[in-house]
Amino acid sequence: MTEIQAAAVSAINVEMTFGTFKAVKDASFELQNGKFLTILGPSGSGKTTLLRLIAGFLTPSSGEILINGRSVRAVAANKRSIGMVFQKLALFPHMTAAENVAFPLKMRRFDARTIPDRVAQYLKLVRLDGFENRRIHELSGGQQQRVAIARALVFEPDLLLLDEPLAALDRKLREEMQLEFRRIQKELGVTTINVTHDQREALVVSDQVIVMNDGEIQQNAAPTQMYRMPSNPFVANFIGVTNDLSGILTRVTSADATARFGNVELMGVHGGAVALEDGTPIKGAIRAEQIRIASAEQSMAGLDADFRGTVLDAIFEGERHVYEVEVPELGGETLKIIHHDRNDQSALEPGALVHIGWKNRDLQIFPAKQ
Amino acid sequence: MRRYKTSYPISWRFMDVLEAAFALVLPRGGGRLTPYLLLTPAVLLVGTLAVGLLYIGDSSLRVLDRSTFLFSDYWTLENYQRAFSESFTATIIWRSLAGAVIVTAVTLLLAFPYAYVMVRTSSALLRKFLLVALFLPFFIGQVVRAYGWLIILGNQGIVNDALALVGVEPLRLLFNYPAVLFGLVQYMLPFGVLMLAPALTAIPEDIEAAATSLGANWVRALFHVVLPMARPGLIGAGVVVLTLSLTDFAMPAILGGGSQDFVANAIYDQFFRTSDQGFGASLTLILIAVGSMTVGLVFAVFGAGTLALGANRK
Ligand SMILES: Nc1ncnc2c1ncn2[C@@H]1O[C@H](COP(=O)(O)OP(=O)(O)O)[C@@H](O)[C@H]1O
Ligand SMILES: [Mg+2]
Repeated sequence: MTEIQAAAVSAINVEMTFGTFKAVKDASFELQNGKFLTILGPSGSGKTTLLRLIAGFLTPSSGEILINGRSVRAVAANKRSIGMVFQKLALFPHMTAAENVAFPLKMRRFDARTIPDRVAQYLKLVRLDGFENRRIHELSGGQQQRVAIARALVFEPDLLLLDEPLAALDRKLREEMQLEFRRIQKELGVTTINVTHDQREALVVSDQVIVMNDGEIQQNAAPTQMYRMPSNPFVANFIGVTNDLSGILTRVTSADATARFGNVELMGVHGGAVALEDGTPIKGAIRAEQIRIASAEQSMAGLDADFRGTVLDAIFEGERHVYEVEVPELGGETLKIIHHDRNDQSALEPGALVHIGWKNRDLQIFPAKQ
Repeated sequence: MRRYKTSYPISWRFMDVLEAAFALVLPRGGGRLTPYLLLTPAVLLVGTLAVGLLYIGDSSLRVLDRSTFLFSDYWTLENYQRAFSESFTATIIWRSLAGAVIVTAVTLLLAFPYAYVMVRTSSALLRKFLLVALFLPFFIGQVVRAYGWLIILGNQGIVNDALALVGVEPLRLLFNYPAVLFGLVQYMLPFGVLMLAPALTAIPEDIEAAATSLGANWVRALFHVVLPMARPGLIGAGVVVLTLSLTDFAMPAILGGGSQDFVANAIYDQFFRTSDQGFGASLTLILIAVGSMTVGLVFAVFGAGTLALGANRK
């Protein structure tokens, strides 16, 4: 006989209202045991509020949160088995690194004899052995992050919550810590919910990504799925650099759709989730890195759409070039194109005549209004 | 040409005038001297006080001849001998000191939750209400407030009238030690709250949430995290309330009715009633010594808190 294991976390139609303002609207999702979920969204989209609901600092106005299959509505925050790393870390400045890490063990009445060993073990896990007796203000930003994560994990919580703890770090340290979080999470196998507004972080570290906007979940999917098949223009624009094209739908089948943009008809794909009708306005979305570009004399094979254009701007970003290209055939639209110089071709200068193109499967078609 | 009036506010013009005036006084610019020059008025003011203290020190060493009402032209320790031998001195010092300690403890106990709610509440309305309620007594002044308590607590006061309605005999609520302490606590509360509020504001919002998620209930979060982090503010507030209470004059005078004198009242009597400046001066210096030692003791035991100087206070 097999027992179905309950999801580590489930949210069922969760809503949170402050006064008349809905910070979280009808949020439902599930997270399986041991997985790493990232909640991605712009500032003010309700990410922290959702996390505080799970942690138990707030009680949902309606809906239910289950942890390991049980409603936690009646469970106080200090009785939940949840470790949280806060946006501003919230370390205790009057304690040393080791005392900070020992705090949850004392509060949760662990056997006093085991506490020093356990603290040492977790400080080692975050590579802070040797810093036990430092005060918090004697540690660097990255080291403080590590204390915060050790403190949140040392009591072996069922769930780890991370509320943008990396947002304040510079890019290099942030990317280093992202991988560090992922390593520790894998090593311990702890179910984790990470909040960020950094789409790169979301794609790099997660098993599952939820995109939020205005308190609403826009999409809940695996990172690759989220990237390839965004469910609406907001997600398409939030993840990666995306060009928006406005058009009119001319023909639609179960898998693809054809629409008129400027003077041309283009074929693209649609998620199929929303019914599309002929003649309705639509939005086309094509990622900057999925548009190919070459000088006018060169030819490009294997493309479904091919246009001529003029380079307006060329930005060199080290490993890639970013071009802005005006395309008369698309009604004079300017497209952003990211070009990775694999064959070490010389860069295109502003004013250069080029041709650009893409494959039909890379053009996403969404209803203009949802 | 168009002038951008709004981009040059009045306050900036004021600063320009100030700078011009400064340049007029110091044509070559004060340079490194400027901060010291700006310090001068305050130093002079404090200096005057120090000179006054020297005079008081001198008076305290001269004894009053009761037959001629002249002070001795030689220095003697007689005033101090008298102060230390008379039980009266010990009584008022003990009364002041014990009173100050009790008032400080009770004030901090009441001020902490007040300041905490004022700083942490998410309701702007409640915060404003608490602030106004705090500042209102400041506009009234200590003496008027003490008289207010006379009206409320007197034998024919509001409280006793109310008690009479339920058949209770009039109680003597005034002119005793508790009345003085009560008045002092009520007077000190705003000072305590105002000294504590910045210290509590400096504690990051998420600290209590962090303590809670780590397994602490609110009592443990308070004692293990919030109070230790508020310590600098508690020490600062404590020292201010302690010294102000120790040296208070009006509350013992009005609510104590002459029977509950603090040191300041005794000093007043010596200077302005018995005209024994010498003895008054010796009491003054004893009060200063007692106050300094008490504050020194607090600093030695608890650290200097928010009153510590420099960036590395802790
Ligand atoms: N305690 C609160 N009272 C009123 N409004 C709040 C409160 N907490 C959050 N909000 C509002 O809810 C919205 C979402 O906030 P938050 O969850 O912090 O967003 P995010 O973490 O995605 O930046 C914001 O508009 C914020 O102003
Ligand atoms: Mg947030």
